[in-house]
Amino acid sequence: MLPVIDIRNVHRIYESEAGYTHALKGVSLQVQRGEFLCIMGPSGSGKSTLMNILGCLDTPTAGTFKLEGVDVSTLDDDELAELRATRLGFVFQSFNLLPRATVLRNVMLPLVYSDCPVREREERAVRALCAVSLPEQYFDHKSNELSGGQMQRVAIARALVNDPAVILADEPTGNLDSATGEMVLRTFRRLRDEGKTIVLITHDPEVANWADRTVHIRDGKLLTDDEERALIAANPTTRSTT
Amino acid sequence: MRIRDLAVETASALDANRGRSLLTILGIVIGITAVISMTALIGGIKQSLIGELGLNQARMVNIYAFVERDITLDDLERLKELMPEYETLVGTGSAGGTAKSEEKSFEATVTGTLPEYFRVMGIKFIEGSSFTDEDQERGNLVAVLDQGAVRKLYGSNDKNVTGRTILLNEVSYQVVGVVESEAGMGDFGTVYLPFSTCAARVSGSWSVGNIIGLATEEADLGTIADTTMAKLTEYFQVPEDTAEDTFFIYTMQSMIDEVNAMMGSFQLIMTAVASVSLLVGGIGIMNMMLTNVTERIREIGLRKALGARRSDITMQFLLEAICLCLAGGIIGIALGYVCAYALAGVAGSSLSTGMGFGGSEIKPVIDMSSVLMATGICVLIGVVFGYYPASRAAKLDPVESLHYQ
Repeated sequence: MLPVIDIRNVHRIYESEAGYTHALKGVSLQVQRGEFLCIMGPSGSGKSTLMNILGCLDTPTAGTFKLEGVDVSTLDDDELAELRATRLGFVFQSFNLLPRATVLRNVMLPLVYSDCPVREREERAVRALCAVSLPEQYFDHKSNELSGGQMQRVAIARALVNDPAVILADEPTGNLDSATGEMVLRTFRRLRDEGKTIVLITHDPEVANWADRTVHIRDGKLLTDDEERALIAANPTTRSTT
Repeated sequence: MRIRDLAVETASALDANRGRSLLTILGIVIGITAVISMTALIGGIKQSLIGELGLNQARMVNIYAFVERDITLDDLERLKELMPEYETLVGTGSAGGTAKSEEKSFEATVTGTLPEYFRVMGIKFIEGSSFTDEDQERGNLVAVLDQGAVRKLYGSNDKNVTGRTILLNEVSYQVVGVVESEAGMGDFGTVYLPFSTCAARVSGSWSVGNIIGLATEEADLGTIADTTMAKLTEYFQVPEDTAEDTFFIYTMQSMIDEVNAMMGSFQLIMTAVASVSLLVGGIGIMNMMLTNVTERIREIGLRKALGARRSDITMQFLLEAICLCLAGGIIGIALGYVCAYALAGVAGSSLSTGMGFGGSEIKPVIDMSSVLMATGICVLIGVVFGYYPASRAAKLDPVESLHYQ
């Protein structure tokens, strides 16, 4: 079956006044439809760079990235924007909701950029909010009136509203207490059960345990099986990639 | 991104910064207020002056001919044939006389003229009608009174006097009509008689004092003064080098041009003041939009992550700037209208005392073109001063923006 995400030998080199930074060094990764994948690595390992490339917010310096078979490296800015609007959903650590907008308007925001007919928007937003179990009484609240867990559920609903091919979550539990974080991870697990593809980035082994598969990244490279086994041996809470 | 979505996003963004937005548009408000109030006021003053001068007859030409011999009605007939650019030429003769009614009497200005005089001069009849060609040919004892004369003869000018009889130098005349007072003649009181009646009974002179022409609709009003001068010079056989001291020809167009020139310099100063204000207002808008962009960097990053294209971000910020300017413009137009009315009272009294006009009320003239021009200026300022912040927002890198603290 065609993988949803197919990355082959991707490099990302940043150029700055200080010189060149080789953030990704020949990364290859395939993610199947309906898979819940966790990318784990310490700060500065290159996981955010990989996430930005997966989210079509950045393009590789070398290598290929295919999203549902489409070679993303050949697309221009507008085509990338269209891909983000229709095929990708983002969940951020700091929620990134519009504070002055209501919950419903926040969830409907991606539909504004995907040319979804106006009459369908509210219906789809309500469906997405129901999917993350946010009670209806909060739909008209301003997002800054919600708790952290509720905000993250709104953010997940926003990621879901376009029925994307992949949901990308960048440290989604980083700003939440453990109970709320668990509730969010349970939501991801349920979405996976419903057939959604989820890629989650974290540095927390506990969070990684919720995923079907975990890949480790160090110094811009995905670890080999041997390297990973050594890592697991050193840290028993970390799960294997298989 | 649809226009409706753009409008919703813009309204929401502006609403979030209501206080700051209001302060920012002050410059635009002042500029547009100045533009609208001055345009309206100048238009009002112009219309008032034109009304006072009787310039609403744009095709009217006043001819003063200081030739050595008397000018007669026969001369007028021949000049009419010589100058086909005129629909008609009428002559007047003036005199004074004592007018009496059953109630009162006064020293009246008596104007002897032809029946077409009132049409040519654009003088409206309040009641009755002009005397006829037959009255002119036979020298009938008929008169047309102006409102000033009616007031002086009957104490009030709302009386129906057509058909009544008045005495002028003890000769009785039947009143056939009442007209509005001519500009500048206000309360003097004028009695109009057929030219032949006036010559035979009041002035004793058959000489035409003043000639008034009504140009045809096809006539070129820009050159009619020159062609008239040339034909009069030829007809009266006046040496060419003295023609300009003999004939004085005033077209309404030249008088309108004079009024326009008078107002032009005033308008120039006000335009300069308004321009400076609009420039400052525009810079204020740009400053606020740049601050807006900086404050909303994370939001811009988020929108890009959710699929906004560069053009969507540009349009959103540009529309915010345009809406700010338009809001300023709408407030400015309303304030300008109020200011124009307030200033009209002051300008009206200055004009009547300073320039000797009859004190007719100045009514500000606000035409659609001024409002459209003000709206256009606002949109232009919004585009010019909003484009840089909008394009800066659109060029932001989504990854950096999302992590901006």
